[in-house]
Formats: sequence, structure tokens, C-alpha cells
Amino acid sequence: MLNPLRRPKQLRLERTYPAPIERVWEAWTDPTLLRRWWGPDKTTVTDCEIDLRVGGRLRIVTEAGAEMGRYAGTRWPMTGTFVRIERPEHLVYDATSCTEGDEDGSTIRHTNDVTLRSLGSETVVILLVRITEIGPKAKMASFGMKWGYKAQLDALEEILS
Amino acid sequence: MRTTMFRALGEPNRLRIVELLRSGPLPVGDIVDQLDRDQPHVSKHLRVLSDSGIVAAQRQGRQRIYRLESEPFTELQEWIDTFERTWNERLDRLGAFLRDSETPET
Repeated sequence: MLNPLRRPKQLRLERTYPAPIERVWEAWTDPTLLRRWWGPDKTTVTDCEIDLRVGGRLRIVTEAGAEMGRYAGTRWPMTGTFVRIERPEHLVYDATSCTEGDEDGSTIRHTNDVTLRSLGSETVVILLVRITEIGPKAKMASFGMKWGYKAQLDALEEILS
Repeated sequence: MRTTMFRALGEPNRLRIVELLRSGPLPVGDIVDQLDRDQPHVSKHLRVLSDSGIVAAQRQGRQRIYRLESEPFTELQEWIDTFERTWNERLDRLGAFLRDSETPET
């Protein structure tokens, strides 16, 4: 039986950049370059390790800056392992992201699949983020769900009437 | 809220109950039948789910009918949306970086 709660949710993003494929690949795999764009805004990348080989580790920690007010100092680590590396076209890694200190309420496991396609001086980037699990040790995967509350409430009314 | 929810749903039987309730409210008896667990066992799980705000019960005669509450799931969805937004913005930033750091042709 289809189990929607365990059906992974996938996010697909696509961009075309006015830069040759090698530059985009470098931006994504060279820690000194990656930390300059990784973001988000008002955060700094405090740790950035990229061991670019299959089975190699990836660890990026972003920290909220003073401008983020009550979030200032909050750290968001992402730790992962490279699954596939085909320079300069394909990069796949499994990763775990969370808010430091709130692992129980914020852990999210995801697989990131980055495809680069060269169009001469431009490069198309297709990013697939598949959320495979949420919660610290929960067997619960994320869900691309429609919870249909309305239908439920209607059904309840029927039962009760 | 999420911590409580993750804990409650981290147990396979409770997750199964939530899956059952997705198709609509159910009386305890039906949940017991479908789960193939004894009534006290199921009641215990329903209590945890109810204390976590994931399900709510309504009495009808001698039956208790359980249904899912929308709030925790909405909150969870909003959290996942934040995660998605982060990746979207990240790709925008990469674009800005590639533009700004362009090495002039020599």
C-alpha cells in the first residue's frame, strides 16, 4: 500500500547562470568559494570542509550574525557524505541539517542532487533536494502531503449527524 | 511543538494510527481492529497522540471518535517550506556571486 507519510518529498530548482560550467562547479566544490555565497543573508559560514571524493565528508556550518536579532549566534550545521561525483556535471550528497542545540526539533535529512549542464558561456543548474527523513531518530519521512482536513471535518459531521 | 510531534510520531504504531486517520475520523474500535493491537495498547498510543495535540477525540454515545488536528501538521509544513525557501535563496545567491566575482577575460 502506498504510504504517503513515508513518501519522500522532492524539491526541484533550476537556474541558468551566465558563467561557464567549470566556474559553477568550482563555486560549489571549492570551500573558499562556496563560503562566499552559501548564505543565507545575515549569516556567516564559520566552518566549511569539503572532502571531494565519493564517501568524503562535507560539513558546512552557518552562524547567524548580529543583524539577526534574537537568532544572533544560532548555528545551523549541515553534515553530509558525497555519493556521486562526476566533474563538472554531477554531484550528489546525503546530508543532515539541523539547528544546533535543537536537534530533536529540527533535524532534517536530505539528498542533494546537483546537475550542471553547459550551454557554452552559460550553465544550467538543476538541484533536486529530496527530503528523506525529519525528526531526530524518527522513522518518519517527510511528506508531500495534502492533509485534507476539510474532508475529515465533513466526514466527522456525517458520522455525528 | 515539533520536538513533541517528532517524539510522538517516532513510534511506528502511533505513526500508523496517524496514517489511518488521514482518510477520516475513526472510532477507537476500528483503530484497534486495523492495528491488530489490544485496546489498552491502542488507548495508550492515542493518549500520547492526544497529549501532543496531534489527534482529538469526540464522544458519540458510547464511542470515542478520533480525528487528526490540523495545527501541528500545518506548523510542520511551514517549517519544511522554510527549508525549501533557503535552497531557493541559495541558488539566487550563487547567481549573484557568479556575476560579481566574474574574472575579466584577458
